[in-house]
Amino acid sequence: MNKPTRILTVDDSASMRALLLNALSAEGFEVAQAEDGLAALDWLEGNEVDLVITDINMPRLDGFGLIEQLRGGNTSHRNRPIVVLTTESSEEKRARARAAGATGWIVKPFNPEKLAAAVRRVTY
Amino acid sequence: MLHAPISNALPVMRLTVLQGQARVSAGPRVLFSTVLGSCVATCLFDPEAQLGGMNHFLLAEPGPGAAGVDEHYGVYLMEVLINEMIAQGAAKSRLRAHLYGGANMHSGMARIGTMNSEFARRFLIRERIELLREDLGGTSARRVEFRPALGQVRCRTVDPAQAPTPAPSVRAPAASGDVELF
Repeated sequence: MNKPTRILTVDDSASMRALLLNALSAEGFEVAQAEDGLAALDWLEGNEVDLVITDINMPRLDGFGLIEQLRGGNTSHRNRPIVVLTTESSEEKRARARAAGATGWIVKPFNPEKLAAAVRRVTY
Repeated sequence: MLHAPISNALPVMRLTVLQGQARVSAGPRVLFSTVLGSCVATCLFDPEAQLGGMNHFLLAEPGPGAAGVDEHYGVYLMEVLINEMIAQGAAKSRLRAHLYGGANMHSGMARIGTMNSEFARRFLIRERIELLREDLGGTSARRVEFRPALGQVRCRTVDPAQAPTPAPSVRAPAASGDVELF
């Protein structure tokens, strides 16, 4: 049996974390959660994932900073897919995420089926 | 947040906040207005940035098995409102909140107003945003007027016929939920 896909979700909204946890767990993914970019980096120091899904607007370290740190680091996370999940729809921010090394961009509110399909596309 | 009567010193630009919307402004003339039945409106204010915003949500959060979150849910509109406040210069730690609406206007129907009110209170606690004032529940419709740059709010009960029907507005399909892989 295949190992489940491991996902780290990074979002400062507890409500959004709960929704993501429900939506992704229901699809059989293994989900860990962090509340901002720094908490994500801490967690990733000791853990492996197949995919990071991150919000943009967060305290301490935002989604852009998180992507830059992961892409600029020397860990296995450097090459992992990172999908942005945000309420932002500005072209400028999307371009910035892309330039920083994001793999994809999803605008909230998210549709659980489309999200799960995206997870499978970037991890398989 | 202040509770002084709304000043008439400047000609006011009245903007309606509809179901499923969140609007933010620092405009000194701007007045956000909405009429609520079972819906809840959140007013957020950052006194230092002199910036405020209001949302108006129809339902709290999707139940188990729901198809997903759309723009009528509080869980989405709260985040949109907070993010837009921050994008325009507010600091989350300085945000102060008022909550209005959440009436149960039709006896015998599901207590949507109560569920909306409870969700909104819970959300603010979880996000550590101070709730300064609430006028929630009961059976009356309310009109809320909010001067976002001043943090001034006026809430009064109105004829229930003025409250919008709690039904999702039909809108052009949004890009939300779409996945773009780079």
